[in-house]
Order: sequence, then structure tokens, then C-alpha cells
Amino acid sequence: MPLFWLLLAAFILAPCACFLLLAVAPALFSQGSQWFTLTYLHQALTGATAVAIVNSLWVSSAAALVGIAIGFPIAWLVARTTLPGRRVIPGAMWLVLLLPSWLPALGWERIVQPDGVMYRLGLDWPWVTHLIMGPFGVVLLLGLRCVPFSYLAISAAMAGLGQEFEDAARVHGASRLQAMRLIIPILAPAIWSALAIGFAESISDFGVAATLAYSSNFPLATYQLYAAIGNFPPSFPLAAGMAWLLVAAVAIPLALQARALRGRSYAVLSGRTRQAVRRELRGWGAILATGGVALFFVIALGVPGFGAVSGSLLADYGGSFSLTLANYHALFAQTNLAAAAGGGLLSPLERSLVYGMVTATITVIGGFIAARLLSKRRTKATGALDFLLLASVALPGVVFGAGYIFAYNLPVMSRIGVNLYQTVWLLIIAYTASSLPTNARVLVGAVSQLQPSLKDAARAHGAGAITAWARGVLPVVSRPIVMAWLFTFCGVFLELPLSQLLYQPGSPPASIAIEDNLSTYHFGVGMAQSVLAVAFALAAVGVVLGGYRLLAPAGWRRIGGTVRG
Amino acid sequence: MADPITIENLGKTYPGGNVALREVSLDVEPGSFLVLLGPSGSGKTTMLRCLAGIERVSSGRITIGRQVVADGRRHVPPDQRDLSMVFQDYALWPHLSARDNVAFALRRRNLSRPQCRSRALEMLDRVGLHALAERYPNELSGGEQQRVALARALIADTGLILCDEPLSNLDADLRERMRVEISALVREAAATTVYITHDQAEAFALADKVGVLEKGRLVQAATPEQIYTRPATPFVARFTGLAGEIAVRIRGHQPDGMLLVEPVLGGGAINEFSAGLPDGPTGTFRARAPLEAVSGDAALMMIRPTGVRLIQDGSAEYHLSGRVSDVAFRGRGYEHAIDLDGSTRLTGVFAGFRVARGEIVGLRLDPAGCHLFPAEPIAAAQQESERAVAGGTRN
Repeated sequence: MPLFWLLLAAFILAPCACFLLLAVAPALFSQGSQWFTLTYLHQALTGATAVAIVNSLWVSSAAALVGIAIGFPIAWLVARTTLPGRRVIPGAMWLVLLLPSWLPALGWERIVQPDGVMYRLGLDWPWVTHLIMGPFGVVLLLGLRCVPFSYLAISAAMAGLGQEFEDAARVHGASRLQAMRLIIPILAPAIWSALAIGFAESISDFGVAATLAYSSNFPLATYQLYAAIGNFPPSFPLAAGMAWLLVAAVAIPLALQARALRGRSYAVLSGRTRQAVRRELRGWGAILATGGVALFFVIALGVPGFGAVSGSLLADYGGSFSLTLANYHALFAQTNLAAAAGGGLLSPLERSLVYGMVTATITVIGGFIAARLLSKRRTKATGALDFLLLASVALPGVVFGAGYIFAYNLPVMSRIGVNLYQTVWLLIIAYTASSLPTNARVLVGAVSQLQPSLKDAARAHGAGAITAWARGVLPVVSRPIVMAWLFTFCGVFLELPLSQLLYQPGSPPASIAIEDNLSTYHFGVGMAQSVLAVAFALAAVGVVLGGYRLLAPAGWRRIGGTVRG
Repeated sequence: MADPITIENLGKTYPGGNVALREVSLDVEPGSFLVLLGPSGSGKTTMLRCLAGIERVSSGRITIGRQVVADGRRHVPPDQRDLSMVFQDYALWPHLSARDNVAFALRRRNLSRPQCRSRALEMLDRVGLHALAERYPNELSGGEQQRVALARALIADTGLILCDEPLSNLDADLRERMRVEISALVREAAATTVYITHDQAEAFALADKVGVLEKGRLVQAATPEQIYTRPATPFVARFTGLAGEIAVRIRGHQPDGMLLVEPVLGGGAINEFSAGLPDGPTGTFRARAPLEAVSGDAALMMIRPTGVRLIQDGSAEYHLSGRVSDVAFRGRGYEHAIDLDGSTRLTGVFAGFRVARGEIVGLRLDPAGCHLFPAEPIAAAQQESERAVAGGTRN
């Protein structure tokens, strides 16, 4: 256990703390002469960075509202009506959630940019280009990304909201609409957490900031922070000053949420909660609801998917809409060329696949240990762990990456023999450290339901420690572990901000290779690579889920599964 | 003010074919207290929900006051039926204070907000919660939440109050106190009340009239006294409390309408168990019978706990004998379980004195507490008995 704490301190706490400290005490790290200064915070609040911060704030607020405005009705329709196709919606929501934000952004960009798919199809609509390549497009894309968070938060709350609250309102004189207005506030905790998550996700997003927003000359804070480090000369203290502002911004909705819900309980679950009744959708209601939900998925998945696939099948700089596989051929040629030039035997996609698998495996082990600690009796140490993990979830990836660059590039590191900077190990450690907090949160629910007696019973009946764990505990948590593994794998496979900041030169992961192709105007090849990357990720998910279904004993699969009624 | 209710041939089938109610007909007098009694799955909750308008009826008709609120085609929504309801889980809206929960039910009376709030306070005062009016449901105990739910149901002075097992989530002591409060408050309101429960003691204590439901059918609707002294079916008898049941054979008719019967117990049990008593059992005894029977017919005799008395040392004439298999102290006295033979046991046999386990005792039967029904196939009877007991004791 001390090793676990040491690793947490070295890989989560220290880099971020050093980086944040840098903004106010640059002399500590030989980055300036001041031992205490607010200059860099002030600098972050002026000029271009201030514009970027303000942009990020309002865009993230708007995106969170868009997320709840779309996610709430979908969650309601799925939970309370006979909406056609409602069974596939949760899966589709996960797809929206797992796609890195830069992929749909690129898909949209490829459609609407000059010489994009839209113009090739003969649709000369510059106003669409202006609309999407600007604040509206950024809000739309970030908002669409918030929808799954809202949907999941509201769905979970609605699952526990029995029918009786609505029935009680109806029998005491409320019309259907009044009853709905009465019970919506019961969902306040879910609405608040959806808004807080949506805001935090949007303000810390790097994918849209580095693609659509950057191409549209609409600066956002995360990209400005990246630029402060990436431009020459790099200014780490200024980046750290911006990091403070980002972290403070994430704290705003959390504070608002805590204030709004203080001292109130919205507990609605009891052993006798009556399952809510589904309302049958008929006629225009059914058409409107289905059409609305379908429109969301078309905009969130269909259009960018079409943009990416069609973009990958169009020759660059061509004026016509003739389809070709030339980009895919060019991609393989590029890979072979890179391999021949000493870029290693792995293509960027294969590399990301390996990184994803290694990271997911390490993260699940670490996440499980953290979840065990969190679910035990609360002590000061577990309280500190809880806070550290919670704070890390809220920490934007780009701040994390900047912290890593800064901390592991310090001269003191090479003096003590830690030469991780610009190695693949640092990238994998950073992936792991940034995934661990979420992973631990995902697992803590399942782990806290574990009865100690499961293992004790196995031990009491003659099993050794490992057998007892494998027979008594693993079966119960196997499904959450597989899900947490997949969640981490998908997150890492096409991760952008950490990869951008920390990848080993000459060995770019998939997201960087795609970005490189796009920034060098190889749009078609970049799109082909994106399409293949998503296909790889989906295939990997399919293989893992299929493997679990085929190989896990039937009893393991029953636990946590749903029973067909 | 209070509304009469007429239910005619009510039927309810859920999607998927589960028939919850079959041809239920019932009249409820205005201002009376009807308790629907039955085990889980008997259809009592469905019936209440049909009355509330939360469920649509499949067939039949419900009339509340002069208004037909449901029939095959018509369905008046719950908010237009002018009724109120106490829910099993109270269904207090967690984001509203106790006062606002209560005041909500007054909205339909078109009062101003201050009027609603002051009347809600008055109502909370009546249920003893004036001081807790600003608390949220999670800050109230189970009993206090129950009172808020009751206040919400009473405040709008509706002609009909529905209660969906409102005491089932409370502990025994609080349940008894709340039962008394509910009884007093709803009678004071003079509204017609329909109350459902699976607890026969609660039903008898509250009701002017009890309707017993079995598998979606109304098997008996009568006063608590009639249900207890003249159960219409073996199910009603079992569900409303039995010491036990024994197989008998009819031996003759009595001038007062009673029947003379003789027990049919296995393995010469009576002789065996009477070994310790000075005289043998009388062999025949009298019982009340709703059935036409002729001498020699087999029948099932159901014995209420009040229909059997324990005789020790042959101090009085007795009809049966058995061995004490268990004894439990109940404060007022002792309840004994008595084995008559290998398969027949009487439970809850009360005596002011304790008889030790293993002793042989005599049992004197009171014809008023012994009810005869046509003999049933044993397996079916046993199953039904177990189901009825399980339903009746689940709280």
C-alpha cells in the first residue's frame, strides 16, 4: 500500500502541484526570480489569454445548457414513453461519449470547410460554413458532447423516480403538465450534476479547441495554454497561470451545485418504489419524438461520420465528387515510409492500440486498489485520496500534460536518474494517471457493494488468498472491471491533449498522426486514418465484449446483468 | 359532502394478459369506511388505483357521487375526480416542505397562496405537526411523514379519501397509534374512505365494511363482525384468522341450525392423546354451517382461535384431545400449539394458565367459532392455507 501512495504522489499530485505552484513562485523552479508573484495570473487575465478564457467560459456554459436541453427530453422519452428504438439509445449515447471530441469536429469541418464535401456536392452555402466555423459550431459540438452526460445523469435519477410522485400530484388535483412541473425539481440533483459535468467537460476540452475552434480563429483557453508551452519561447509560468484559471472555472459549477442542493435530500428510492408507467406515444407525438431523437444522432454521429467517411473517399484538392480509395493506399504507403525511416515497426494506429491496452490494464489494477481504499471505512488517508481523485477528474487534460512536461523536464529529475521526459513511458504514465481517477470512480460503486464475507467464506472453506479472491470476489466485479477497462481503452486510444504534449518524437500515436496529416493538408489521408481508427476501436470493443461473453463462466455474466422480464 | 361509490362488474386486465380484477361489484355508503382486505396479488391495489383514476378499467363501471368516472369508454383523469389519497410510501415530494406538500392539495380550490399556506398550517396543527411545518420530508420521522401525507389527503375536504396500505411501513407500536389517528381524523372529515390492507386485525379495527378479495374477485363484503362470525368461503375464514382446521364427517342436524359432526383424525390419535385424561372425548360436537349437508358427508371444519378452549386434567367436558407442542407467553395469558395427530395442529389456543410442552390436554369447542365448509382436496387446501397465512402475517 505505501507503494500505491508513493506512485499517486509521484504521478498525480507532484506534477500538478509543481505546475500550479510555478505560476506564483517561479523562482522555486528556476523559471524566474520571484519567490511570490501574481504577475502570471494577471498576465493570464489580459490580452489574448483573457479573450480565450472569456470565450471558454461562455461557450462552456452554453454547451452545458445545450446538453441538458437535449439530454433531458431524450432521457425522459426513453424512461417514460414507448419511444420507438429506445433500446438502442443507451448504446448510441455511449458511442457519442466515447468518441473523442476532435473526431466529430473534424468530420464537421471536412463537410463545411471551403473545398469540403458540402461544396463538392454542389451545395454552395457559405453561411453554413460561417455558422459552423465559429462560436455557434463550437457551442454546438461541445453541447452535443454534453448530451450523453446529461442523458446518463437524468436517466439514473429517473430510474429511481417512482410513479407515485406523479400519481400523488394527479390525485391531488394536478393536470398532467402540472404534475410534470412538480416532479421535475425532484430531479434537481441530476440536472445540477449534468450542468456541472457538462461545463467542466467543455471548459477542459482540448479536441474542439485544437481543431474547429482553432481553424475558426475562435481561441479557447485550453488551446491558449497549449500554445503558451508549444510556441517559442515557451512560457511555463503563463501556462500555469492559465491552469489556475481553468481549475477555478471548473470549481464554479461545483460550488453552485453544492450551494443549490445544500441541506436538502432528494432521496426518492425505497424498497416499495412503484415502477413508472410508460406512456404510449401515438400519432404526431410519436413522429415528433422519434424525429427529434433521430435528428440528434444524425447531427452528433451521422453528419461527422458521413464527413469523415466521404472525406476519406475523396481526393484532396479535386473539384468533383468522385470516390476513390487513394487515401487509404496513401495511408499505407505513409506508414511503410515512416517504418523505413526508423519510426518503428508499428503504425500510429497499432501504437495507440498497444498504448490503450497497456494503459487500460494498469489503470484497472490501480483503479481497483483505489476503489477498495475508497469503499473502506473513511479515514484521513482515504479522505485525502477521495479529494485527490475528485480534483484530478476536474483537472483539464492539458493542465495535466503541461504539469508532466514541466515536472519531468526539471533538471533535478535527471540528477536523480529519472529520465522519463520524451519517452513513451512518460506518455503511458500520464495516460494512466489521468485515467485512474475516473476509473476508480467507475469501480467504486461495484467494489463498495462487495461483502467482505464473500472472500472470508472462500477462505473459511479452505481456499488460499488468491483462490479466494479469484473465486469469491472476481466473479462479482468482473463485469464492472471489463467495462472500466473498455472505458479507459477507448479514452486513451484516440486521446489528444496528453498525446500532443508528451508523445515520443518519431512515434506518434493515432490522434497525432491524424492531426499531422490534416495540418499538412492531407485531408483525405487524415480522414481515412480517422475512419480506420474508429473501426479499430469498435473492433477492439467488440472483441473484448464478445470474448467476455464467450469465455466468462455463465455465473459471472449473470451478476450485474439485466434479466429480460 | 361525502360521496357514495358504486362499482359494477369492474374488470382490469394488464397488458400481457394478467387479470387483476374480475367482475367486482360493490356499493359504498357515503361517509362509510370500506376496507379492502386481501393477500398480495389479490387485486386490492389495482382496485384502489382504478378508483383513483391512475389505472384505466378494462370493463365495468365506477360511479363516484353522481358522476360515472370510468367505464369501458370513459376515463375521467385523477385530477378531475376530486378525491385524495394516502400512499403506501407517502409519496411526499422531497423538494417541498411539509407545509408546501400539504398546501399543494388545495390548489384545486382556487385559493390564494397565503390562504393555502395558512390552511396547510392549520391542518398540520390538527395532526400535531405545526412546529415541523418548514421541515423537508427527509427531516421527518416515518410517523411524521405519515401525518403529513394524511394532512395532505384531508385538507381539500374531498368527498372520497383513498388509503393504500398507509401503515405498512411503520413499526408495530407506531402502526397502532397511527391507526387510531387515521380512524379519528377521516371520520371527523366525514368523507367516504376506501382503505386497503393485508392485515386482518387492521381491517377489523378500522372498517365499517370489509371487502375480501381473492385472485381479483370480491369473495365477501360485510361488516367485520359478519366476516368473522360468518365467513363466506374457506379462503375468507383462513385469511381472517384460524386456530386450525380439521376434517370431519356430518353426523346429524340440530334444531337450532347447527350440525353435529365427528372428527376424522388419522392414526387413532384421539385415543392415544386422551390417555392422560380421566374421561375420553365426547366424540361429536356442534358447528355452524353455511352449507346444505346430509349425514355422512365429509366436511372441513375451520376453528377460530376464539372457538377453542383448553381443558386441563379433564376438569370439564371436552371434544378433542391433543399434545401441547409449543407454548408462548402473550402478556394476557398463554397461547398453545396443540397437535391433534401427526398432521393436524391447532395454534393460538389461549388459556390464562401455562401448560407445559408434551402434556396431554382436552379441547372444548364453541360452535360459534367453528365453521363447516365442503371438504376440499387436501393439497389444494393446504396450499391455500399457507398462502392466506403468509399474506395475512406479512407487514
